Amino acid sequence: MYGHLVRRLLQFVVVLLLGSVAVWGFTFALPGDPATVLLGADASAAELAAVRARLGLDESIVGQYLSWIGHAVTGDLGASYYSGQPVVSDLFDRIPATVQLAGFAMVLTLLIAVPVGITVALRPYSVVGRVLQGYLTAGLAVPTFWLGLLLIIVLAVRLRWLPASSDYVPLWENPAGALSATILPAAAIAVHTSSVTARFLATSLGEVMGKDYIRTARAKGVPERDVIRRHALRNASLPTVTVVGLQLGGFLGGTVVIEAVFNYPGLGRLLYTAIGERDYALVQGGVLFVVATFLLLNLLVDVFYAVLDPRIRLT
Amino acid sequence: MSGAVNGVTAHRDATSVAPDPGAGPPVLSLRDLVVEFATPAGVVRAVNGMTYDVFGGETLGVVGETGSGKSVSVLAALGLISTPNLRRVTGEVLLGDVDLLTLPTAELRRRLGRDVAMVFQDAISALNPVRRVGDQIAEALRVHDRTLSSTAARARVVELLGLVGVPHPVTRHDQYPHQFSGGMCQRVMIAMAIANRPKVLIADEPTTALDVSVQAQILNLLRVARQETGAGIVLITHDLGVVAETADRVGVTYGGRIVESGDVTRIFTRPRHPYTAALLGALPRLDSASDRLLPIPGQPPDPSELPTGCAFAPRCPISRGRAVCTEARPEPVPDGSGASACHFPDEAASLLTAQADDPPVDQDDPGEPDNDPAPVLDVHDAVARFPVRSGVFARACAWVHAVDGVSLRVPAGRTLGLVGESGCGKTTLARLVLRLVEPTGGRILVDGDDVGKAGRSQLRRIRRRAQMVFQDPYASLNPRLSVGDNVAEPLRLQGLSRGQRRGQVADLFSRVGLRVEHADRLPSEFSGGQRQRVAIARALACAPGLLILDEPVSALDVSVQAQVLNLLADLQRETAMAYLFVSHDLAVIRQVADEVAVMYLGRIVESGSVRRVYDDPRHPYTRALLASVPVPDPVGRADRQRVPLGGDVPSPVNPPSGCRFRTRCPIATDRCAAEEPPLRPVAGGYTACHFAEETVGLAPEVPA
Ligand SMILES: Nc1ncnc2c1ncn2[C@@H]1O[C@H](COP(=O)(O)OP(=O)(O)OP(=O)(O)O)[C@@H](O)[C@H]1O
Ligand code: SF4
Ligand code: SF4
Ligand SMILES: [Mg+2]
Repeated sequence: MYGHLVRRLLQFVVVLLLGSVAVWGFTFALPGDPATVLLGADASAAELAAVRARLGLDESIVGQYLSWIGHAVTGDLGASYYSGQPVVSDLFDRIPATVQLAGFAMVLTLLIAVPVGITVALRPYSVVGRVLQGYLTAGLAVPTFWLGLLLIIVLAVRLRWLPASSDYVPLWENPAGALSATILPAAAIAVHTSSVTARFLATSLGEVMGKDYIRTARAKGVPERDVIRRHALRNASLPTVTVVGLQLGGFLGGTVVIEAVFNYPGLGRLLYTAIGERDYALVQGGVLFVVATFLLLNLLVDVFYAVLDPRIRLT
Repeated sequence: MSGAVNGVTAHRDATSVAPDPGAGPPVLSLRDLVVEFATPAGVVRAVNGMTYDVFGGETLGVVGETGSGKSVSVLAALGLISTPNLRRVTGEVLLGDVDLLTLPTAELRRRLGRDVAMVFQDAISALNPVRRVGDQIAEALRVHDRTLSSTAARARVVELLGLVGVPHPVTRHDQYPHQFSGGMCQRVMIAMAIANRPKVLIADEPTTALDVSVQAQILNLLRVARQETGAGIVLITHDLGVVAETADRVGVTYGGRIVESGDVTRIFTRPRHPYTAALLGALPRLDSASDRLLPIPGQPPDPSELPTGCAFAPRCPISRGRAVCTEARPEPVPDGSGASACHFPDEAASLLTAQADDPPVDQDDPGEPDNDPAPVLDVHDAVARFPVRSGVFARACAWVHAVDGVSLRVPAGRTLGLVGESGCGKTTLARLVLRLVEPTGGRILVDGDDVGKAGRSQLRRIRRRAQMVFQDPYASLNPRLSVGDNVAEPLRLQGLSRGQRRGQVADLFSRVGLRVEHADRLPSEFSGGQRQRVAIARALACAPGLLILDEPVSALDVSVQAQVLNLLADLQRETAMAYLFVSHDLAVIRQVADEVAVMYLGRIVESGSVRRVYDDPRHPYTRALLASVPVPDPVGRADRQRVPLGGDVPSPVNPPSGCRFRTRCPIATDRCAAEEPPLRPVAGGYTACHFAEETVGLAPEVPA
């Protein structure tokens, strides 16, 4: 187990470093010079040079990377080209909002996916099972942004039950407000992700139900409810855990489209704007954060997986 | 799936396996059980009127070939079939006075595990991989006794683990199934099954996936379990030896029903159904090799189109086309202690006597094969090691010594049988010969050509002269090519024209006993035995001088196995091919081989002529193996004292020092740990044991 974890930890570090190189290199591949963008097309050569020097763009590429990553390790991601504010503080302004949305979306996803997945796996031919299967197909097919717009039009504009654009209301300050502000974007996301998760769960649960050890549990006289709860679900959850981890990583990286649709002040919208403005420092810092979060979640999924599966834990 | 399908007309009069008079009422009775599945090919009647009784304290052996409905009948009886295509379950399953088929699922579950318990084949996958072994046993106790505290359950589980012979029960309690060997998992399953002292214990092929030495341990354990609980045991198996060794009464299944039942000795000595007699004739024997097995022609019936008359009629040697056989289904007629479902039960026994009249021709003992100037296969000191990678950088930190210094020779027209338990390196050795595994050392010559040094084109030539046949013919045939094209494939690679190929394929098909008209069918349309014939035909296409047969009949039924073994014998006589025949089955090896080599943990521990190894084994391992094999002869089984080998084969990663067998050897001394015994000439063969001269006087149960 420890060998496994140490190996995964090293992998994490290596992939993160490679990722940082990619994040850094990618901004260079983009057309357009940030200094020109900042100052406008008719800035003088001297002005451009001064801005470049301020932004550190006159160093060699390797030098720029090394100083960037060196600072990044100490928690300094540089300053936004535009606002001049530290990138880190820009990011940290938005992270709570994104975490809250991600959390809501994940909870909703699981609340839908677990019962739906179980029902579809155990009663595929019942009326309810067929209806839910229809939901899964639809949930995968419907684009999230379209669903978001639909929810806004129906629930916010027509019925006026909920606000159309979502501000960030911290959960601990105003739970009811937070719920009403976040529920629509969370639901728009969760319809898609719950369909993916439920499908995974249904497939693996269906497979597990045919395993020999399920037959053994039945032959012992275990009631069917407990056969499913105690024997089938834990085994079936193993592959599902991976999917859920990936989805959560995706949420934390910012759900760009949904944040744009709902005008939600999260990380996704921040990055979206920064890319439009060629605010490289902010883009690099933001994407590095997203990549790191994603990898970290993956690592946690691996650890969790090992906790669930003794075959990994004990070898 | 609820088992609440109400019984229809039950043939109460159709006498099942009848008890000894005065044995009390049966603890479990199947009455005219019928099980049907809906498949795209139509309705499959997997069980067709299965009827038997089990009495307390006895072992009923249910024996029959694949697909004869042994498993489906008990699973359906206990409501354990959960496939959605189950169409019908009718008849009665009486547990005491209650018909299990009429119970709602919840009621049924209350009885499962308490009154009737099951032990399954392949125990490793029958245990939940993510739950502690002890907890899984405790669950069996606690579902039926909600008042049992967890400490009390734990104490009882530890006691049960000790009872079934799991060493260190307290530590083992908290481990997971993957930390147990197959044999140990089966012990755990048995502990789980006897936890509530059930009235009936149903064991479905409990030893099929296990090595012979472990099989003997488990069969002993089932005997202990019966004594402990007084349960009636239903032992389902395809192995006549296991039945003869353990059962009191026997039911023989064919086409989804019991065709003959009765006392075990009677069944084996005076069968009253021709199928039983034919099965006995098809069985290779450990105690005496017959010159030729008597296979049953054809194949078992297809349960989707069972004939109206006797299901055995198309293959029956005594029916001789009598109309009554194809028109009226014979019902079991009670006679003495059993019953036979044949219109002419008295003629069946004649099949056995006919065989006895035809005494087995003594096997010609081979001359000294070492005098043969150029053996077809000459393996000299072959070594194959595989790295075990672990740690952060996946460095090779240890080596699996799969094959560790093995030498053997196979001359033309001869068969070398290679036996050993799983994991001893048999298959690796076979694959080394064709360099499907890269050798770590040693020299392998095929027809004088060094396989290890051969370049690409030379290796291709060698692989044409030495062909391999695998255990699973389905996996080795291309499923998308017709069987004809599969067989023609090597010919095509040789550049033969289409017409030439067709002619040769037709010729090969007739040599292996396949119908040429079937050449256009796909492999999936053939039965296991036929597919193995196709694989053999393909191997023969290049007219090889050497066939390497890796467990070629292990997946086949007894009756079909005999067909394939006879085919191989005929082919060898015609072409003087050399065979390297790998098998875990000692009886099969005795039947086919001239010379035998016994492997243990990557080494040959004993070799020599069949006579020498089987009749005068000198290595304690060979002796223990031979003593572990169940003999299909119930007469005198009480006198066959056997002490099975303890423990499992140790890991080949760090084999024991000195003699590798010393951890399980009953006569090991200090010298065995210090000095590795060389394979040396002993009594006309070769044995790797320091005390080979002294083992001969020892009884099979060697004093400790
Ligand atoms: N779900 C199913 N659908 C269709 N046919 C089935 C199904 N389950 C089993 N069968 C068929 O029922 C027949 C009896 O199978 P069963 O497993 O009882 O045989 P068996 O005697 O136990 O053989 P084995 O020695 O291989 O275990 C087989 O022909 C099998 O193909
Ligand atoms: S009934 Fe006829 S076909 Fe069937 S076993 Fe008896 S003799 Fe053979
Ligand atoms: S050498 Fe020793 S341990 Fe090995 S088989 Fe002979 S007696 Fe047993
Ligand atoms: Mg079976």
